[in-house]
Amino acid sequence: MNASALKWWETIQIAWSKYTAYRLNFFLQVLGPAFVFFFIKYNLWSAIYGGDQDILIAGYTFQQMITYHIWAMIVGLIAQGHTALNLAEEIRLGKISTYLIYPFQFWEFHTAHFIAFQWLQVLTSAVTVLLLALMSLLTVPSFALILTGLTYCLFVSVFWFALQYLTGLLGFWLEETWILRVILQIMTGFLSGAIIPLDFYPEKFVQFLNYTPFPYLTYFPIKIFMGEMNQIGSAYGIMAFWIVLLWLANHLIWKKGIRLYTAAGM
Amino acid sequence: MGIKHYAQVYRGFVSTSFTEATSFRLNFLLLIIMDLFFYVSVLATVSFIFDHVETIGPWNRTQLMFFMSFMLVIDHLHMTFVSESFWMLSTHLKTGELDFTLLKPVNSIFSVFFRHVRPSSLCNIFVTWGLLIYYGRQVPLTTLDWVLLPPLILLSFTLLCLIEFIIASSMFWVTEGLGINFLRMQIQQLSRWPDYIYGILSRKILTIALPVLLIGSAPVHFLFDKSRYLPLGGMVIAILGSFVVLRWIWARGLRRYDSASS
Repeated sequence: MNASALKWWETIQIAWSKYTAYRLNFFLQVLGPAFVFFFIKYNLWSAIYGGDQDILIAGYTFQQMITYHIWAMIVGLIAQGHTALNLAEEIRLGKISTYLIYPFQFWEFHTAHFIAFQWLQVLTSAVTVLLLALMSLLTVPSFALILTGLTYCLFVSVFWFALQYLTGLLGFWLEETWILRVILQIMTGFLSGAIIPLDFYPEKFVQFLNYTPFPYLTYFPIKIFMGEMNQIGSAYGIMAFWIVLLWLANHLIWKKGIRLYTAAGM
Repeated sequence: MGIKHYAQVYRGFVSTSFTEATSFRLNFLLLIIMDLFFYVSVLATVSFIFDHVETIGPWNRTQLMFFMSFMLVIDHLHMTFVSESFWMLSTHLKTGELDFTLLKPVNSIFSVFFRHVRPSSLCNIFVTWGLLIYYGRQVPLTTLDWVLLPPLILLSFTLLCLIEFIIASSMFWVTEGLGINFLRMQIQQLSRWPDYIYGILSRKILTIALPVLLIGSAPVHFLFDKSRYLPLGGMVIAILGSFVVLRWIWARGLRRYDSASS
């Protein structure tokens, strides 16, 4: 292993240890919200369908609706689980000075953390799918569909990481960046089909949404897992466009922000 | 130390919170926008579902929208008066800064949970109350209902705060309190939907053992049907019980606190 790869590997290992050190905290912070969200949705849709589980509501039977929400939970865990919780604080408290003198850059450190987090999320998701299948709540799709869905989710997670990284970098100018993160989460939850399928939304509104990245974050990957999506190529293309755009924005913001950086506390 | 003393201290808390909040004007504005996005997403979600169904359980669109607005008013009070303090508690426990709070000559529960006010959220008072009045008129509420509405909101807010104070007190027993804050938020999520959507067992647990479903469902059911006063009685009992539990668990938590900075 060369020196650069070794640095990445060590950092990923340290990040993994950090995430798994406080297991209860990890469960409550990352997994708990996803499970509670699914619990509410399961109960809500049970109440909506009542005793008649075969009726179609916006094209969904009860079982299809539950399957949709199970995959929404899994997609949420893999594609949108990561948060740049400490990034702005590191900028504000002057902690990034360390990265400026170490031979491992700021973005590399955070990307390594993101990779470790993603491993953990994929494992957790695999266990969740297995448990739900054992409880007969979910029919596990074919291996090819799982692989296609997982690959796309990991691609979306890169977009999500770049977006989170961008909000964190705004810490060069803003006192608090968590507000932006929460706004993003609320908007994404609502506009991506994570709360209810986009088939429930007014048609013109959905047409408008298709020009934004939101449907490609949750609705599209869910439909991939459900075996109802054929436009995977265009979804990849749109996501790739946004990832490149965010990468350029992050690069620019970092260059501008670092000029303002005062290394507080040094 | 009477109520007058506490009122003076609270005025000081509010004053410093205003000074702090107005120093960061963009944050102030973003917090208002964040709350507005949340309100829109909650109401639009319910509205979109009702575009495809006539009723959810026994309630129609107007009734459920009224329930949602009721919960948004509670959420607004929560965001304005207590939410900030929970996040500070987890930090203060970790850094040992809680020492300074404990040294003050006021009840520590008061000084911990009411220390921070979020003035930006106060600006949205017209939105939440406007929505409640709008949907209340559509239900329609009677004159008696309108008179009962403010005290019922106060009762709901009190119960929500007490339950969350109890959950937050568990931060004394964990190394990292951030996760507890997320647990607290999830418990709050459960209360944002009417009790009848939950299965029998879940409903019993979330009404008796952890009475979060009483927060919104008990007062709104009572407003719609005056014969359903029993859950409201249960809510009063839950408030009294939660207060006793909070004092007990808080005292035990303080004994466990080892002051990280010392």
